[in-house]
Amino acid sequence: MTTTTPDAVPVRPPLLVDENVGILRRIWRGRIWYGAEWYITIFGALILVFMTTMTLMAPRIAPYDPNEFVGAQFTPPGRGEQALLARAGESPVGPGADLTGLVIGVQRNQNGVNLARQLGANGERFQDQASMLEALQAGQVDLIFVSQEKVPDALAEQPGLAVVTGNLGRDFLLGTDNLGRDILSRLMWGARTVLGVALMSALLSSSIGISLGLISGFLGGAVDRVLSLTMDSVYSFPGLLLAVAMAAMLGPGLINVAVAISVIYIPTFFRVVRGQVLSIKEELYVEAARSIGARPITILARYIFPNVIPSVAVVFSLNVADAILTEAGLSFVGLGLPPDIPDWGYDLSKGQSFLVAGHWWMVTFPGVLITFVAMGFSLLGEGLSEILNPRLVKS
Amino acid sequence: MSPALRRYIAVRLLLTIPMLLILVTLVFVILRVLPGDPAVAIMREGASEEQLDTFRAAVGLDKPLHIQYLNFIGGVVRFDFGQSMTRKLPVTQEIRTFFPATVELAISAMIITGILGVFSGAFAAQHRKSPADYGIRIASIILYSMPIFWLGLMFQMFFGARLGWLPVSGRLDPGMTPERIITGMYTVDAVLTGDWALLKDALRHLVLPSLTLGLVLAGIFTRLTRANMLDVLEQDYITAGRARGLREAVLVYKHGLRNAFIPIVTLLGLQLAILLAGAILTETTFSWPGLARLVIDRIYDRDFTTVQGAILFFALLVAGMSLVVDTLYGFLDPRIRY
Repeated sequence: MTTTTPDAVPVRPPLLVDENVGILRRIWRGRIWYGAEWYITIFGALILVFMTTMTLMAPRIAPYDPNEFVGAQFTPPGRGEQALLARAGESPVGPGADLTGLVIGVQRNQNGVNLARQLGANGERFQDQASMLEALQAGQVDLIFVSQEKVPDALAEQPGLAVVTGNLGRDFLLGTDNLGRDILSRLMWGARTVLGVALMSALLSSSIGISLGLISGFLGGAVDRVLSLTMDSVYSFPGLLLAVAMAAMLGPGLINVAVAISVIYIPTFFRVVRGQVLSIKEELYVEAARSIGARPITILARYIFPNVIPSVAVVFSLNVADAILTEAGLSFVGLGLPPDIPDWGYDLSKGQSFLVAGHWWMVTFPGVLITFVAMGFSLLGEGLSEILNPRLVKS
Repeated sequence: MSPALRRYIAVRLLLTIPMLLILVTLVFVILRVLPGDPAVAIMREGASEEQLDTFRAAVGLDKPLHIQYLNFIGGVVRFDFGQSMTRKLPVTQEIRTFFPATVELAISAMIITGILGVFSGAFAAQHRKSPADYGIRIASIILYSMPIFWLGLMFQMFFGARLGWLPVSGRLDPGMTPERIITGMYTVDAVLTGDWALLKDALRHLVLPSLTLGLVLAGIFTRLTRANMLDVLEQDYITAGRARGLREAVLVYKHGLRNAFIPIVTLLGLQLAILLAGAILTETTFSWPGLARLVIDRIYDRDFTTVQGAILFFALLVAGMSLVVDTLYGFLDPRIRY
C-alpha cells in the first residue's frame, strides 16, 4: 500500500502586518513572503534611482548641451557622423587633426557651419552637394562635409576623393536629431522634465484627491453623494481628452501641463481614499477615540489619515507611471511643453516625420526610455501594494 | 423583467442625468472659465481689441458667465452644437462624418483585445506561477507601460517602411473611394455594397491601427481577466467540478471563464475611457480621420465650436455607454441591485 503525499506546499510564516515596525523593516521582511514580488519592487526602485540620478546629474554627465546644434543632422547612433572629403591626391586628415584656418564646405544648414567652427575651421555654405563638389575641385574650399550615406554618391561622381570618416572627436552614442542635437544629452535632460512634470502633477492630484476623499468618506451624506457622483463622472471620461482640452486652453508651459495632467487622476485618489475611510471609520479605535471626546478633525488627522497613507503610496506610484505616459501623449499631439525644453515625448513626436526616411533612432530611444520608466513606476506601485496592503490585494 | 430589475434600470437611467450635467459643466469650466480666453485663442495673438469684441459678441462670449452656461446647456439638450468656425458646416454633421472611423477602429481594437486579453488572462490564471504565467504578466506590464503612439510608430517602421506590407496612414489608398457611404465604416460599407476591392483595401489600412490600440489595451485586459479568474478558480464549484472529474480545460474555459465574465463586462465599460484616450493617440499616429483626430486638428485650426461639440459628444457617449454597461450588468448578475 502506498500513500501519496500531496506536493509540498510551502508554509508561509504568519504575517504580522499589524506589528509595530517601520515601513523599511516591513519591506525588508516582505522579501521573505513575497518571493518574486520582492524583485519586482527592487526593479521598480532601481529605475527610480536611475531616474533620480539622471535628473540630478544631467548637467554633469550629459556630453553636450541639449539645445545646441552639436553635430550633423541625422547622425546614426554610434560613432561617425559626417565624412570629410578632400581633393584627390591630398593627404587625408585624420580624426582629431588640426583644422584651424581651413575652409570647409557645408550644405545649406546652419549646423554644418557650427560644426566646422567648433572644429576650428571656417564653414562656407553651398546650395547642394554638386556645387560643393565643384567648389572643392576648383580649390575654393579645402574640405567638404558630406553626410555618411551620401559618400558613395560623391565618390561615384568624382572618384579618387580622399575620405575621412570617423567622428572627428565627437561621439553620438544615440545619434543626433533632425537639427543635429545630441539625442543622449537630450534624453538625460529630458529625464528632469519628465520626472518633474509627472511628480508635480501627481502631487497636485494627490493633495486634492486625498483631501476630498477624506472629507467625503468622513462626512458621508449629501456631500459624499455629490462628490462621489462628480468624481465617478470625471473618472469615466477619457482623461487624455480632458488634458488635451485643458492644455490647449492654458497654453504651453511646465506648470500648465502638470495642471492639465493632474485633473485626470484626482478621481483615482478620491475613490481609493474614500473607500478606505469608509472602512476605517468603522474600526474600534476610531469609535474609542470618539467616545473619549476627540474632535472630528483630530480623528481625521490622527486616526484615519495615517491609515490611508499605504494605499495612497501605491496609487501615487501608479499615477506617476501614468502621468509620464500622458505627458508624452500630450507632447505627441503637440500640446506639451514649449520646444526649448528637452522632453522625451516631444523628441519622439519630432522623430515621427523622419521615420519613413529610415531615421529610426529619433523615435526608438525616447520610446524605450518612456516605456522603461513608466514600467518602473508601475512595478514599484504593484510591489508596494503587495507589501503594504497584503490583505487587500490579490494578484 | 422582474420589478427589481426594472427599478434598477430606472434608477440607473435617472443617475445618468446628473452625470451628464456634471460632465457638461466640466467641459464648460475647462473651455470658458479657466484662464485662457477663447477669443484670443481663436483670433490668435495680436488681434485688436475691437476685433476681439466683435468676435465675442458674434459667438455670445460677451454675455455674463451664467447666461453663457445656460446657453451652453440649452445647446446640448437640443443636440445643437453650433456651426463649425472653419468649415461652414453644423458641428453635428462634422461629428457624423468623423465618428464612424472611430467606431470602426474601436470595435476592431476591442475584438483583438477581447480575444487576446481574455484568453491569455485565463491561461495565465490556469497555470499560475508557471513560466507561462510570468511571461504573460511581464508582457502585459510592458504593453501597458508603452506609449501607445510609440508602438504604432514601431509598427509603421517595420511593417510599413521596412517590409512594405501594410499602409501606414489613412483609411483607404488614394484613388479608392467608396461608391456609397451607408454606415461610414468602410469595411461594413464594402460588404454591404459587395465591393471586395474596397473591403481588402479598408482592411489593410485597418490592421496596424487596430493592432496597436488592441495590443496596448490587451495588456490591461489580461491583468484584469487573470485576477478575476484567480478569484473564480478558488470557488467551491470549481473544486466540486474537479472532484467530479471534469476536464481541466472544460473547468477553466467553460465554467470558470463564464463566471469571471461578469466583472469583465463592467470593466469593459470602464475601459471605454481608456479606449477613447488610446484612440486619440492611435488616430494621430496613423492619420486616421476619426473623432479624436478631429478634436486635435481643430484645436490647431482654433475651431472652438467643433472642439467643444466633439468633446461634448464624447461626454454623451461615455454617459450612454456606462448606462448600457450597467444595465447589462443588471441582466447578467441578478445579485446586483441598487
